[in-house]
Amino acid sequence: MSTFLASGPNLGRSGGVGAWLAGLSPAGKAGVLAVEVVVMLVVWQLVVGVFGWINPVFLPPPTAIWQGFVELVSSGVLWPNLLISLQAWLIGFVVAAVIAIPVGLLMGTSLPVDRVVGPIAWTIYATPSIAYQPLAKAWFGFGIGPVVFLVAISALFPILLNVAAGMRTTNPSIIRAGRVYGASRTQLYRSVYLPSTVPFLFAGLRQAVVLATIGMVVAELSGSAIGMGALIIKSVNTYQTDQAFAAIAIIVAWSVGMAQLVTLVERWVAPWTRTGRR
Amino acid sequence: MSVTSATGTMRIVRPRRVVRRDEAKWTWLLIGVIAVILLVWEAAVSWLHLVPEAFLPPPTAVAASFAQLMVDPEFWSAFAYSLSNVVIGLVLAVVVGVVVGLAVGWSPVLRFTVAPFLWLLYSTPKVALAPLFILGLGLGSESKIALVFLLAVFPIILNTMEGAVTVSPSLVNAGRVYGVNGLALGWKVIFPATLPYSLSGIQRGAALGFTGEVLGEFLGGTGGLGHLLEYAAYQFEMAEAIAMVIVMVIIANLTLLLISTLRRRLAPWYDDRKIAGAP
Repeated sequence: MSTFLASGPNLGRSGGVGAWLAGLSPAGKAGVLAVEVVVMLVVWQLVVGVFGWINPVFLPPPTAIWQGFVELVSSGVLWPNLLISLQAWLIGFVVAAVIAIPVGLLMGTSLPVDRVVGPIAWTIYATPSIAYQPLAKAWFGFGIGPVVFLVAISALFPILLNVAAGMRTTNPSIIRAGRVYGASRTQLYRSVYLPSTVPFLFAGLRQAVVLATIGMVVAELSGSAIGMGALIIKSVNTYQTDQAFAAIAIIVAWSVGMAQLVTLVERWVAPWTRTGRR
Repeated sequence: MSVTSATGTMRIVRPRRVVRRDEAKWTWLLIGVIAVILLVWEAAVSWLHLVPEAFLPPPTAVAASFAQLMVDPEFWSAFAYSLSNVVIGLVLAVVVGVVVGLAVGWSPVLRFTVAPFLWLLYSTPKVALAPLFILGLGLGSESKIALVFLLAVFPIILNTMEGAVTVSPSLVNAGRVYGVNGLALGWKVIFPATLPYSLSGIQRGAALGFTGEVLGEFLGGTGGLGHLLEYAAYQFEMAEAIAMVIVMVIIANLTLLLISTLRRRLAPWYDDRKIAGAP
């Protein structure tokens, strides 16, 4: 994101505003953004809530969404649904990571495995995971099972393919250098392959967070009695769209938060990867 | 541009041909492994009865249902319904996405003011809005087209924007030196340079748009592939359901293939792998 704000060639003829914006300090930029967010919210509130140009059932104003959130919390429907969703998400994600990382490493080490698993994994990855949802529902029933399955299958392939790509794109001249200096196989893996694969792993995890959340929402929207998706459906069916938007906002916060968490862990575990610059 | 593309294609084509002869052996290995998997599946279900057939039908049963689907007019009308919705939504998303993406990538002011919101919307799981679309636009095609558009447009905008931002300044300057300015600069320099990025955005957008269409059909309405699949699974006709899933896998992968072929055709100077890994 920062690349879009900071760098990039100056393609258009920058007018006064552009030059002024480019010259701002990071704090100044954050300030301008904050002002923008406030302006957006006020305009939204005015258009829907005060002037009533848009039917508030379809797009409730920010204050109504906040009220919906308060209603969700005070009526006690939020916590059980949220906990179920987060549980399904976490189980699915861990299952995906536990399967994907070893298989990805194996694909990276062995060419035959790569050539066999690779095309199959790409084929499944290219298909939106929603296609597997009815099968999951038929196989795992109506509980948390299909949600876990869909989260896992959505998160599995980005991690797997990224790890495999990371192993495959390890700089060959570093590998040769390692060999020349007499590195053993284990040493080669520890000090050459691992450091160059870790950034790919974290990129895969970040992609997986987004896809897993989509998988979770899809699974819960179509055929689950409990969870955030089911909560959204229930709220919409009773025309309490403010609550639906509040629930969506919580899912968004979860998705963004988990992606941030992955980045934080990456900085802590692997400071050499320079994700800060993106 | 033509000079660059010519040398580019030659450089890419050559190693591919050399590699391909070696690749043939891996293709056979892949086919062998898939055959073994299918054989084990068939054996486990219909010969050894380890898994109940109603739960997981054997590959032969799936193949039979698949063949049946291919001659079923109901399937083809559902196919046409789903695909036309996806195509309409996707075309709208491409037009809006490329125009907005170029504008935002081009103008520093817009980039500063609009891009953060676009990023936020991009990373939002917008599938959660599907029930609201059904509520607002009804059970017909409109809600599905709108959903396809909404899900597909953001990856296209963001990728186009990224492409427009990363256009090499020396290309722009060279264009300016030769007196290309304004809209002509956009059309002759910026647009071709961003094209591969837009196409990779369209690729992701197509997958997400497909998700939107199928989800819309799951949630309501009586037409389309998603509805057919859900109905088959609901009736516990697993052979037909798995055959439908295979149809969707084929559609998704054909779309992917089509777009990457398009990218190779329209932007042969661009290295596929450079943006393939971009999140």
